[in-house]
Amino acid sequence: MNQVTPMHEDLRIDRRTLLRGAGAGLAGLALGETPPTQANPGTARQNGPHHAPRARRVVHLFMSGGPSQIDLFDHKPILQSRNGEELPESVRKGQRLTGMSGNQASLPLAGSHFPFARHGECGMEVSDLLPHTAKIADDLCLVRTLVTDAINHDPAATFALTGSQIAGRPSLGAWLSYGLGTLNPDLPQFCSLVTQGKGGQPLYDRLWGSGFLSARHAGVQLRAGADPVLFLGDPAGIDRATRRRMLDAQHRAADAMFQETGDTAALDRWNQAELAYRMQESVPEAANFAEEPDSTFALYGEDARKPGTFAANCLLARRLLERDVRFVQLFHQGWDQHEGLPAGIRTQCKDVDQASAALVTDLKRLGLLDDTLVVWGGEFGRTAYCQGTLTPTTYGRDHHPRCTSMWMAGGGSRAGQIWGTTDDFSYNVTENPVHVHDLNATLLHLLGIDHERLTYRHQGRRYRLTDVHGTVVRGLLA
Amino acid sequence: MVPLLSFLLLLTSAPASPPQATTGRIDFASQIRPILTDRCFQCHGPDAASVAADLRLDVRDSAIDDLARVPAAIVPGDSAGSELLSRITHASAKRVMPPPESKLSLTDEEIGLLARWIDEGAEYTEHWSFAAPIRHGAPDTEAGAAWARDPLDLFVHAKLEEAGLAPAPPADPATLLRRVHLDLTGLPPTVLELDAYLRDEGADRYERAVERLLASQRHAEHMAAGWLDVARYADTFGYQSDVGMNVWPWRDWLIGAFAANLPYDEFVTQQLAGDLLPEATQETRLATAFNRLHRQTNEGGSVEEEYRVESVCDRVETMAGAFLGLTIGCARCHDHKFDPITQKDYFSLFAFFDDIDESGLYSHFTNAVPTPALDLPTDEQVTELSELEARVAELEATLPPLDPESDSLVALDLPVFVDFESPARKPNAHYVLGGEPAAIERAGGVAYRLSGENAVAFPGTGIIERSEPISVGLRLCVPNDAQVLERAVVIHRTKSWTDSGSRGYQMLIDDGHLLVALVHFWPGDAIAIRSADPLPIEAWTHVAFTYDGSSRAAGLKLYLDGVEAPVEVIRDHLTRTIRGGSIGDLTIGSRFRDKGFRGGGVDDVFVCGHVASDESIAVAARGGAPLPESLPEEYANALAELQAARERRDRLRDGIRQIMAMEASPDLPAARHVAHVLHRGDYKNRGDAVEPATPEALPRFTDEAPSTRLDLARWLTHPDHPLTTRVQIDRLWRQAFGVGLVPTPEDMGSQCQEPVHLALLDTLTRDFVDSGWDYRAMLRRFALSATYRQSSRASEASLTGDPDGSLFSRAATTRRSAEVVRDAALFAAGLLREQRGGPSVYPYQPPGLWQEKRGVVYPVGRGQDLTRRSMYSFWRRTSPPPTMTMFNAPSREVCTVKRGSTSTPLQTLALWNDPQFVAVAAALGAAAVDAGGDDIGKRVDYLFRALLTREPLEGERNAMAELLDEQREIYRAAPAEAVALAGFDLERAVHPVVADAETARSEPVDETVSIEVAATAVVASTLLGFQDVVQRR
Repeated sequence: MNQVTPMHEDLRIDRRTLLRGAGAGLAGLALGETPPTQANPGTARQNGPHHAPRARRVVHLFMSGGPSQIDLFDHKPILQSRNGEELPESVRKGQRLTGMSGNQASLPLAGSHFPFARHGECGMEVSDLLPHTAKIADDLCLVRTLVTDAINHDPAATFALTGSQIAGRPSLGAWLSYGLGTLNPDLPQFCSLVTQGKGGQPLYDRLWGSGFLSARHAGVQLRAGADPVLFLGDPAGIDRATRRRMLDAQHRAADAMFQETGDTAALDRWNQAELAYRMQESVPEAANFAEEPDSTFALYGEDARKPGTFAANCLLARRLLERDVRFVQLFHQGWDQHEGLPAGIRTQCKDVDQASAALVTDLKRLGLLDDTLVVWGGEFGRTAYCQGTLTPTTYGRDHHPRCTSMWMAGGGSRAGQIWGTTDDFSYNVTENPVHVHDLNATLLHLLGIDHERLTYRHQGRRYRLTDVHGTVVRGLLA
Repeated sequence: MVPLLSFLLLLTSAPASPPQATTGRIDFASQIRPILTDRCFQCHGPDAASVAADLRLDVRDSAIDDLARVPAAIVPGDSAGSELLSRITHASAKRVMPPPESKLSLTDEEIGLLARWIDEGAEYTEHWSFAAPIRHGAPDTEAGAAWARDPLDLFVHAKLEEAGLAPAPPADPATLLRRVHLDLTGLPPTVLELDAYLRDEGADRYERAVERLLASQRHAEHMAAGWLDVARYADTFGYQSDVGMNVWPWRDWLIGAFAANLPYDEFVTQQLAGDLLPEATQETRLATAFNRLHRQTNEGGSVEEEYRVESVCDRVETMAGAFLGLTIGCARCHDHKFDPITQKDYFSLFAFFDDIDESGLYSHFTNAVPTPALDLPTDEQVTELSELEARVAELEATLPPLDPESDSLVALDLPVFVDFESPARKPNAHYVLGGEPAAIERAGGVAYRLSGENAVAFPGTGIIERSEPISVGLRLCVPNDAQVLERAVVIHRTKSWTDSGSRGYQMLIDDGHLLVALVHFWPGDAIAIRSADPLPIEAWTHVAFTYDGSSRAAGLKLYLDGVEAPVEVIRDHLTRTIRGGSIGDLTIGSRFRDKGFRGGGVDDVFVCGHVASDESIAVAARGGAPLPESLPEEYANALAELQAARERRDRLRDGIRQIMAMEASPDLPAARHVAHVLHRGDYKNRGDAVEPATPEALPRFTDEAPSTRLDLARWLTHPDHPLTTRVQIDRLWRQAFGVGLVPTPEDMGSQCQEPVHLALLDTLTRDFVDSGWDYRAMLRRFALSATYRQSSRASEASLTGDPDGSLFSRAATTRRSAEVVRDAALFAAGLLREQRGGPSVYPYQPPGLWQEKRGVVYPVGRGQDLTRRSMYSFWRRTSPPPTMTMFNAPSREVCTVKRGSTSTPLQTLALWNDPQFVAVAAALGAAAVDAGGDDIGKRVDYLFRALLTREPLEGERNAMAELLDEQREIYRAAPAEAVALAGFDLERAVHPVVADAETARSEPVDETVSIEVAATAVVASTLLGFQDVVQRR
């Protein structure tokens, strides 16, 4: 049977007791409940890869709220020329709208206020809102036809990041942790970074949660401030030397227990504590920008000096990726422009444009882009018609699930690719749709995983990130 | 449903034999069924819609039907002649089964098993969990009888003998005492209890301890805590805004149910259908909040019906998970792939739970409790309310007749009247929103035509509470526009539709008729009437309504063209305020996120704060303002008195706590009178109508068709039900013994392998029913059994012969729950504040966790609220307490019956550095210094006894004493460090500013004492990292 089975999940108790039964000594201990150590990185539990991976690491820049594809990547001049006219029923085809604009007496088309130009050798159309992103157009693999099933934020974000609108499923990063294990046991293998102080659509633990997988696979939030990981810092009165002495004493006690009873549980526990101890040093080290030269901040923007900004998180992400963290996920709220879109999106782009491009550039400079996949996008697109009143100076756009734009870079994605076409209104896909399940299948493929074989048995059935759907989109592969 | 019935009928009742690996007869249940379900049922199983080649391998008839297929898939006795075997061994990728694209395959061993099974006759047996449990005689051997303390031990011993194993020796007394304390109450024994127990020479000291624990408040709380995951209990609605939902009174009910040892059949019945019991009480109604603990959203723009369907589905799936041990969510979209649960079954269950007058969304702008809501008055409120009700009734009954001859008249306020004639609007009379309405001509004057987006509003007019009368009228012209006729807002004083539960009052066009409603929360707390006749289209009509302040639908009257119109009552249940929630001005023509009066004409608006007379409205309908009116003084005074009495009553009612609960409603709209199969589970996609029914493949116990949730509960709790009691016995066993009898409690369906101890499970199940579903008696049996009392220390033989512990050859060493880890530590340190029930509290969590996700500040508690039992910690679904989720607690977004048991470095970090555990270490350090004085060894002993309920091993004592000694030297050189640790105070860590001001006034710290306490606290903190803090022994 070539099914992928969860290894530690079910075998943990057996392994320990069997090791003990076989008279295994300390050498075998790291295989107990602990993640693999540096001595055997990543080999102790791999449910993948199933084929040679193109990417070893992923950084996912999640634009929470749903950026407007019409104002960023999907240029539709007809919306400008027919600005204010009613959305033709031939375009809408009776498809459902949200309760926010669904009861509007009129659905006037709203042309983007932002000029577009072609960039790079690939001629990618990008609006003036994203000057830095435009400069790396030839590194990007742009998808203009991402399709989702959900029309409200909560289910759509949950769908985008866990493959299901229903709460309780593992997130993408948790699946990777489960499937591929860790590359560096001294750091969390899945880190989530939230831009501070943005507000907007709320975020929820489930977006980086482990669902029905073991809590070990959940994303660990790295936060700006003294304790980048919860409870990382020692309390007043306990310094590093004291912590070291505590661990040594615990080791002596555990060894005494082992000598007396042959039970390795206490030694397992001590081993676990040693990992925590190392994490106490490796996380702050990764989060400390003191050694970064000024050129770094020139690249990412001066904002990167301010902890908790998107720029600082991009820099932190690069530092984590350099240290072989498998999956880093950034969350940037505030893309939900139901009204006042021109002003709102300008602020958003100012927040993320330079740093997103810098991250790609920097990874390339470090030689990491080849095997690091960068993903940029939100949970859905926005409507061609105006929500609320269309005026000469402003407009708003409602949620739109039928198409949106997102991009990837590096990690085996096809640079300079412009994938898929939408109709003249950026309303429906006319060519090469990429469903969320397809995107996830493709991401897993790049990481060496067959999305149909990365499964977990739960509640009497096998679960997958892609449920029973998803096709790898070959056109996105380098 | 012939196939499924035949599936059950044809299964022969061959006695289940133990699985045999290589010799003897193949056992279908343990050896063949798992292969078929896992590798074949996807396409050849119960899902009727996706049966490939018309072949079902779950039904023997279909598999061997040689009439339809040559050769048959299975030819009993002839594997070589069976198509099944030829296909699973086929060389061609196009022919081989399972097909390569399924990514499934069979091993040679599995193929061999299938071949032998076919050769042996291919007999099927019924899946163990769908057959009624039967009592088995306890196996009786001499060795078993010598060891056993309860019949259950005989079953355990017999299996051990079969495997050539002996039970483990009894656990030592301290270990057993700790184990039973934590298993039954979630808290360890105190040092005093431990010492007393060890000194107690009574032969029945253990029995007395068990009795004491089972009778304790702590036990009831611990049992309740275990049910919270199953009930997906949380303090917030979940989804993105994740507002509080105030359901803790249900948690209090739950604790009470365990404290009273409520029989399990009643426990099930009250939660599912406590409102429908003939003898329903407030308590049994409160129990039904169980069905309302699912998530709900208030996200702007959500489709109400979509989320209402989600709510009902969640009820169905929680019921199935909690009581049937089945995951049936799959059957929402298609027939179950593995279990005989069809999509029709799913929606037949759905029909039971689709019986309440609810909205799919909760209110964004108000804090209304989503209906149906149950009042939870205090005793004083009950008394006071009945007095106020009586007063209102008396005044209503004694209103004097309206004497037209009276000469002592009181003039009523003049109506506000706006006819849009004056081009310059009168200041403060009205204003427009969303653009100027088109002025049109009507009867020689000016009227307005609305766009559906714009509106005319009347500031300061028509502001009423439900005890106050009002009359509103206007002239309107309904356009011939299907969307408007379906629904359009004519005039309202509300903020919005679903976003505020329509709080306020409103006049709408509803399916071409005119609807008037006063609303606290639509639909369950409102009065509404609707014109019997449709409105004329494209003709000017005068419409008006009057309301008398009675909170009754009968107090509403509707007038069309000046004549009282016949109406139907749509809702008649208004019990709460109709104000609040950002209600704006009285507005004509449109509202936030609702359908406006697009293309509608309006004119001649009037509003007055009394019930306008028929005559006055008739005058207004003919043209112009309604008449000035007056009332006889005596009548007016009586009316004022009545209104004041209603107001007092209403104010009291508004202050009574409410909780979401079930209440079967007679008022459901026609579209919901019958439930339907929803294609692909999609709310928009209705299929055939279904009646409430239990799944066809499961037994029925009566000929009467079930129709209510109560019938469903009676079915579940029938003594012969194959699943309900097995699920509960397994749950109780798991709680007592650390591991269950059934390996997958979340799935007792056909994918669930037959338990090793099925005979034991079934016999206990029968005992349980015979005992009157007495869960506590069952736990007592468990705790007193020889099986329970075994040591957890594994012998070589036990490890080899019973590697996973499923034979119970030793006590399980499973992981303690997050709640137990935290509570036990606080308790050991003397910090746990024990107080039963009440609203949730906000213990310490790192600052900013709520803020950064949702922008709300976590209102961290004060004083003893910081150290209540974890079951009282406020549970925010989108950001649960981190120290809980780190230790494997689920988010409680959905029903969860089994937690993970992972171990991560983050847990260690929490035990070291979470201020709650630092406080534990500091407090234990001080207590150990008190107990041990200058004797370091005694201090270490105290810490072991307090935290781990045992004496240290010599080597452990030495290691810890050495650490303490080293640490003391370190702190002597750095006393400020010692003071910081020894003086650590949770309150001060949580509220530094306030606490510092208080400390400034307190006494100076004794450094010498601090050094001793801090050095000892370091040892305590080290012990918190020990295995037995998180693991059962």
